[in-house]
Amino acid sequence: MTRSLNKALLPAGLRDVLPPNASHEAAVVDRLLAGFASHGYGRVKPPLIEFEESLLSGAGAATASQTFRLMDPVSQRMMGLRADITVQVARIATTRLKGAPRPLRLSYAGEVLRVSGSQLRPERQFGQVGIELIGPAVPAADAEAVLLAAEALSAVGIESLSIDLNAPSLVPALCAELKLGAEAAEDLRMALDRKDAAQVAAAGGDTARLLGALLATAGPARRSLEALDKLDLPEKAAAEAGCLARVVDLVLAAAPELKLTIDPVESRGFEYHTGVGFTLFALGVRGELGRGGRYRTDGQGEPATGFTLFMDTVMRALPEPEPGRALFLPWGTPADDGRRLRAEGWVTVSGLEEAGDPSAEARRIGCTHAYIAGAITPVE
Amino acid sequence: MLIMPVISGEGALRNDDNLVLALPRGRILDELMPLLSRAGIEPEPALSDSDSRRLSFSTNHPELTLIRVRSFDVATFVAFGAAELGVAGNDVLMEFDYPEIYAPLDLKVGRCRLAVAEPREMVAGDDPARWSHVRVATKYPKITRRYFAARGVQAECITLSGAMELAPSLGLCRRIVDLVATGKTLEANGLVEVERIAEVSARLVVNRAALKTRPDEVGAWIERFREAVDAA
Repeated sequence: MTRSLNKALLPAGLRDVLPPNASHEAAVVDRLLAGFASHGYGRVKPPLIEFEESLLSGAGAATASQTFRLMDPVSQRMMGLRADITVQVARIATTRLKGAPRPLRLSYAGEVLRVSGSQLRPERQFGQVGIELIGPAVPAADAEAVLLAAEALSAVGIESLSIDLNAPSLVPALCAELKLGAEAAEDLRMALDRKDAAQVAAAGGDTARLLGALLATAGPARRSLEALDKLDLPEKAAAEAGCLARVVDLVLAAAPELKLTIDPVESRGFEYHTGVGFTLFALGVRGELGRGGRYRTDGQGEPATGFTLFMDTVMRALPEPEPGRALFLPWGTPADDGRRLRAEGWVTVSGLEEAGDPSAEARRIGCTHAYIAGAITPVE
Repeated sequence: MLIMPVISGEGALRNDDNLVLALPRGRILDELMPLLSRAGIEPEPALSDSDSRRLSFSTNHPELTLIRVRSFDVATFVAFGAAELGVAGNDVLMEFDYPEIYAPLDLKVGRCRLAVAEPREMVAGDDPARWSHVRVATKYPKITRRYFAARGVQAECITLSGAMELAPSLGLCRRIVDLVATGKTLEANGLVEVERIAEVSARLVVNRAALKTRPDEVGAWIERFREAVDAA
């Protein structure tokens, strides 16, 4: 005999979101989208499931190990449940909207599902809200994405935002110019990702010295750029660093108070990125609020940039919603009174039957006020 | 209309100006004390008193608190941002491989190695090339599995938290993966080190989000420790 499963138990990483948190999250998503719309981003809504080949091609390849698959009984082809929305928006841009004028500005909001969570981020389903800016690969486009992310997050109440700018293609460019083997480059990248200066130094030679110096440049943006400037980087790597510098200048010119840091060697999570990338943090909040950066649609296609906000972390970073006011209308309150009160902005909760003392009933069901003999009376 | 009790935000970290440095308790703490003092940190005396039941300790820097936890837990505290800074061996870092941890500095103390050992009498007749499966007692199941998998061998790990050296003599398994400092414990138990997995030393570790959001303060502590190591 096995005991029947407790009905409340959900699979790992999945959760029910209850009042008032569910409506709070929806309101935050709405405000984010309104912010994107005010900058001319039009919303798209791709489906939850697509054919595996298109979902996991190009930039989508990085999400292959995180994607749930199922067989389509209709077409007999494999489908994937999206683990990321960026790749879907990129697909829309290069297919259905390929004739639309560039730069093309698109926004989206939706849930994604992942095969596994991590210990630090156990959620397997969470909301993604973001934008993609498809068009010319110019520093102004990168700066627009960074600034829009900062503006949208401050507008919903995220305080002490901190943006880390990265150059995910700098280290690969450097490794190629230094003619490192694939295995040595991989080892170095892992050491750089962990900021393991000892491991980088252990690689020895000029490579280690240059990468060690590069590692040491990470820090607040201005200081970091000065340090980068002093390094004697080979041509391609220097060009990547130059790109980063132009984006920083544009961002700081538009928002001088923004807290920017630079980390030129970070490459984790930027598997498909081809230019300036960025990660969003907030003081005192575990993990990333979102990330973005430059990539190519369909791997080799059009240049694009954008960012995605992770709603689970964004909601954790926000203060809990203020409990709202609610007015109890005892059974028998005229319908017109209810309409008038709602028009005045009250949330009304109607009694469905005679219930004795209206104040006590209001308190029992969690209302802050009761409508007694035509007057609004606080119940606390 | 339902008004629900508000769930407290467990994701929010301590939102004050304090920094927490997590230190591993035990032998390595003694090795760390001179380094702390060279980095200008004077902890209250109870820190090095292993009989003290306290877990958190103040320092001469009002904004810096020390906590004393098990070495494996240092990585967990720092990964979750419960401590911004910590000291952990790279054995612990390799075992957990948390992406939220940066290990910017080798403190060059607590040196030892992570090794495979087996009974002395087994060594002569053993041909590792023929293995397809080994059973290993260890505190490091992930490192062990990864290490053997890389050579095409499946490792079945028996996770123990101490006294690994007893396992072969009592027939629990024939091999162990453990830290070896001098090799005396192995020798006393009739074991021989047969392969070396990694050199181990203590690292200064920092939480990724803490370094990004407080680059000046956290960066300054990394710099102080770097100078303290260089001065050694």
